[in-house]
Amino acid sequence: MYLTKYEQEMAQGKYGPGLQKAINILIRYGKACGAERLVEITSAHVMPKEPPELLSQFTEGIEELPVTTTTHPLMSAFNPEKWEAMGIPADFAAAELAEHEERQKIHGDLGFIKCYSCLPMHLGNLPQKGDYISWIGSCAQILGNSLIGAKTNKDGTIVNLCSALTGRALYHGLLLDENRYAKVVIKLAEDIRLETDDDYGALGYYVGGHVIIGNVVFDGIPKSATFDQLKYLIAPVATSGSVHICHVTGITPEAPTVEAALGGKEPEDIVIVTRQDLEKTKNIFRYDPDQPVDLVIIGCPHVTVQEARRIAKILKDKKIAEGKRLWLGLSDATCTIVRAMGDAGIIEEAGGVFSNTCQATIPDSPLPENVQVVMTNSFKGAHYINSLQQGKVRVMISSLEECLKALNLQEAQVK
Amino acid sequence: MQITGRVLDRGQGRVEGEAVVFEVPFSFIGDFDPASGKVSMSGHPLFGRSLKDKILVIPTSRGGTIAPYIAYYAKKNKVSPAAILCNIADTITLECALTIDIPILDNFTEDITKVLLTGDKLEINTDTGLVEVSR
Repeated sequence: MYLTKYEQEMAQGKYGPGLQKAINILIRYGKACGAERLVEITSAHVMPKEPPELLSQFTEGIEELPVTTTTHPLMSAFNPEKWEAMGIPADFAAAELAEHEERQKIHGDLGFIKCYSCLPMHLGNLPQKGDYISWIGSCAQILGNSLIGAKTNKDGTIVNLCSALTGRALYHGLLLDENRYAKVVIKLAEDIRLETDDDYGALGYYVGGHVIIGNVVFDGIPKSATFDQLKYLIAPVATSGSVHICHVTGITPEAPTVEAALGGKEPEDIVIVTRQDLEKTKNIFRYDPDQPVDLVIIGCPHVTVQEARRIAKILKDKKIAEGKRLWLGLSDATCTIVRAMGDAGIIEEAGGVFSNTCQATIPDSPLPENVQVVMTNSFKGAHYINSLQQGKVRVMISSLEECLKALNLQEAQVK
Repeated sequence: MQITGRVLDRGQGRVEGEAVVFEVPFSFIGDFDPASGKVSMSGHPLFGRSLKDKILVIPTSRGGTIAPYIAYYAKKNKVSPAAILCNIADTITLECALTIDIPILDNFTEDITKVLLTGDKLEINTDTGLVEVSR
C-alpha cells in the first residue's frame, strides 16, 4: 500500500505510540481489503463507547484531534444524567457510569465535540460535497453519503476511531465514485400519498427490504420535502437492507437527474412502489388503537427543533396519563434551543423525558418493568426495538400525532 | 487433513487450538458474552460453549458496528478466541481480529463449516495459510 512520508513516520512511531497503533490498524486493514492508499479526511463522527483502556492506549501522545470530530449518541437508552427519571435500574447505571466518566475525560482533553447526536450535520459537523469523511452510525452514514454527498465507508468502531485519530481513511469502497452510482430506480405509483412521517418511513423501509443491496435513486419525491421527512425516508433504507446510498432526484447533490445518479448507465432494476406496498409495510408493526400503549418513543433518528415544536403544540396544557411514558431522543444542544423556545418546558410539564441517547438500541439498557407495548413513528426505531427485545414487547407504528394521542392526554389542572 | 486459506492478517503469528464451528453467520455482538467468553445464541447447539483460546470457524458475520469493542472486552477478560477462520470475511470481523491481534483467514478451497467439526485440533501457519487438521 502506498504511504506518504508523514504516514510512514506515523507508522514508525515518530508521533507517539497512540498514532502508531492507530495508523497500523488502518494499514493492516487496508492491506487485507486491497486498498491502494490512505486519503485525508475532513470530518469524523465516532461512537463514544470505547473501552476506556483501549481509548487511552490509542490516544497516548495525541494532544488534539486533526479534524472536526463529533460523538454519536450512547448506543443505549441509558443516560448518565436522566436514568432515574427514565426508570432504569440503579445497579445497571452504576456499572455504566464508571466507564462513561473515564471516557469523558479523554474526549474532553483531545477535543472530541460531545454533541451525542446521530445528526452531526446539525451540530457543527457539516462536510462538503465530495469530502472524504469517516462517520459511524447507519443513519449518519447514509445521510452523509446521500443528503450531503460527502464520502464515508460503513466502517466499524475501531477503523472509525483510528481514522478520527490519524485524519486518514482507506481509499476503497464508497470513497470511489464508481461505487456511489445508483443501480436501482425507485418510482412512486400515482396512488401514493406521502403525508405523515410514517408514510415516508414505510417507503424507505419497503425499499431497503426490497432492493437488499446496491444504491438506489428515488425519483418523484416532492421538492418541498422537509429535512425531517427526508430523514424518515432515508434512515430506514439502511435498516431493512444493505443499501448504502440513497439518492433523491432534484434534492441530493449527486442526483440532479436520474441519469446523473445512475452515472450514465442503464438501471439494473426499476421498482414502482404502490400504496398497497406501503400499507403492507405499515402492517408489519400494525397500529391497533384498542391496544393500551405503555411507552412512546420519538427520536430515531434524533428529534429536531422543528419536530419538538410539533410535539409541544400537541402537549400544551396536557398531561400524559398515569403509568404511561414518553421518551424523546435528541442532542443536548438541540434541547437547549427547544428549551429557550419554551417548548421543552411544555413537553416536560406534560410528562415527557428528553434523553441524548439512542432510542433504537434501548434493549442495551433494561426497559422499565411495566412496559409491554411500545409505540413509535419511526420504522428504524421499530425494527431495532422489535428485533433486539426478541418479542418481549409489542411494537406499533403510527404518525407522530397518533403516537401522542395514544398517551391518553388529559387536560392539565389549571394552576 | 490440510486446508489452505488466504491470510488477511497474521495477528501474532502461528497458533493452534480447538475448532468451534458455526454453520450460521456469527457476530460478537448478540451471539457472544464478552464477560464469560461463552456463546449466547439462544437455541443454538453451541449455546454456552466457551470460545476462550478456541479457533472460531464461521461462514461469515452478521455485522454489528460496535463488535470490535465487544471483542476487546473479551480479550481484556482473557476469554477471547485464538483465531478466526471464515468462508467469506466481512469487514467487521476483520476489524475484530485486528483489535485483539489474532490471525484471520478466509477464502478456503472448501466450505470450512462443512469440512471442519467442533473439537478438531487445528494448527494454523499464518505465513502460508496452511491449516493442519487432526481429529
